[in-house]
Order: sequence, then C-alpha cells, then structure tokens
Amino acid sequence: MKSKIVIFVLLLATLLVSACGAASGELTIQDAWARPANTGENGAAYFIIENGTASDDSLMGVSSDIATAAEVHMSMADANGVMSMQMQDAVIIPAGEPVEFKPGGLHVMLVNLTRDLKPGETITLTLNFKETGNVVVEVLVKEP
Amino acid sequence: MIKKNLYVVLFIMTAAIALTVLVEFFFRRPYSFHGTVITPPLPVTDFSLQTANNEKFRLSDQKGKIVLLFFGYTSCPDVCPVTLATFKQVYEKLGDDAQKIRFVMITADPDRDTPEIVSAYTARFNPEFIGLSGDITKLELIWKELGVFVEKQDSGSAAGYLVSHTASVYVLDQNGSLFMTFPYGTTATAMTDDIVQMLK
Repeated sequence: MKSKIVIFVLLLATLLVSACGAASGELTIQDAWARPANTGENGAAYFIIENGTASDDSLMGVSSDIATAAEVHMSMADANGVMSMQMQDAVIIPAGEPVEFKPGGLHVMLVNLTRDLKPGETITLTLNFKETGNVVVEVLVKEP
Repeated sequence: MIKKNLYVVLFIMTAAIALTVLVEFFFRRPYSFHGTVITPPLPVTDFSLQTANNEKFRLSDQKGKIVLLFFGYTSCPDVCPVTLATFKQVYEKLGDDAQKIRFVMITADPDRDTPEIVSAYTARFNPEFIGLSGDITKLELIWKELGVFVEKQDSGSAAGYLVSHTASVYVLDQNGSLFMTFPYGTTATAMTDDIVQMLK
C-alpha cells in the first residue's frame, strides 16, 4: 500500500514537473518594427508579445528615450467607419496566447519624437510588465 | 475533293470563332468593384483649400483626373500613416497611370494642421501627394457634404487631444462626382484594380 502511494506521488510530481516544463518559456517580443517618422511627429511601434510563462501578465507601460512619451493606444473603428484611438492603462497578456500590436489596432504611440526615424535604423523601447518586469526591445524602423 | 476539304476547314474555323464568342458572352462577368460604388455618382460642390506656400487647390481644376480624398490629421500615428502608405503603394502600382490620379489628404484637425504642416506630412510619403487645410467653416462644409465625421477627443494622452474621424477614402471620378468609397483597410491591390477599371 505504502509503495503504491509513493508511486502515485512520484507520478504526480512527474506530471507537475512536465506541466511546468511545457510553460517554462519566457515572455518574448517578436517582429518589433516602427513606422518612419520625423522629429516632432508622433510615431508608432508594433510587435507581437508571446507569453510563454505559466501565468497571465500585463503590459503596464512603455518608455523610450526618443520621444516625449510612449503610450499604448488602441485604434478602433465603429460601424460607420469612424476610427478613434483609446489610451490603454494596461494590456493583459494571457499565458500561451500571443497578443499582436498592429496597424489599425494596438500600438505604441511615440509622442513628439525627439529624432527622425529613418528606414533601416533601430530604436530601443522598454516594455514594463507587471510580472516579468522590464523587457528591452530592439525595434527596426521600416516601411510597412 | 480539294474544294470539299476547304469547306471543312472553313466550317471548323467558323465553329471555333462562334464558340469563342459564345464563351466570352456567357462567362465573362462584369467587373465587380472592391469599393462601395455610389449609383449614380454624386456631384460634389466645388471647393478650394490651401496647400503649402499659400497655393490653392480647387476641386473643379482637377476635372479629367480621378481624385482620392482622405481625411486625417498629422498627429495621428497609426491609421492616417497606414492610409498614406497605402496611397504610396497604389501610386507605385499604377505606374504612368498615377499621373491621372490626385492623391489628397484633407485635415480633420485645422487647429493644429496648417497647410504647410499637412503638405510636409503628405510629401514625406510622396512629393506629388497633396496636403490641404483651411478655414474651419470651409472644411466643415466639405465634411458635411461627404458625410465625414470629425470629433476632438480628450484622451489624457501627452499628445493632447486626439481626433476621431471617418477613415474611408473617397473616390471622385473624372467629373468631380463621388463615385465610390474605400473603407479603412482596403488593400493597395484592391484600390489599384478599381482605379484601373475606372480609367478604362
């Protein structure tokens, strides 16, 4: 009887470890790019956030040294084709589910650029997540 | 014998031509536009707005050209550059035919967008693109006539107010009448195909 319990516990432990193994990845940022723009204009950056960890996370904010402010906004259309943008306080990044920032949807708005963004250049953004903390992202400037 | 063969050949040729004509007649569908076509095209009241260097852009001066009109604002980081980038692709896809088109952005934010600012903005995408601004009363008449919704929106953004606006592209035909609209997100290929069809 005792040995059966030991085997059961061992099996359970193995299961738990393998389950953790499956979600032991990290939170990563893929395909980051920004639209070319001039000094003084507002720019936009896009990427895909993949949360490979076992728990949900939230993007709390973005910082950048090439703009007065970096804000997360969501563009959305109503039934009449009117587009508006809404600033987002936090964006939930569910475990195992990619969240795509893309034109006409979620994006980072780089307010009042302090330098030109020319195609081929790279800029740096720091994304602040509630659980993961800061993630520094290299962002390629390119035409869409 | 030779004469008989000749008749056979003639018969086969006639049958082949008749078959081609029939296939063409029954299977060729009329072109279906990607955009939303307005039937009949809606005449648009003439207007004049300012571009850079105090120059005027008058709609009636564009007769004979197709005019693509987009309403946006230069502080807009996402939707407006998407549409202008699409315009840029359409221009390139059209090749020489691009000279028969006017690509125009009219501001939805005249308080911040001077004619110079809008022109500099559109020129960054293509120097031939036209950026327009002007008096709010003139702009409001154009917005109203075309059904363009414009509203300032306090967002708490460091960029100041944002502007909610209709993001469709308005296509005016060679007579200056509203022929079709493209909803936001229409691809450059779809726009180009429709314009090529209008040029036929």
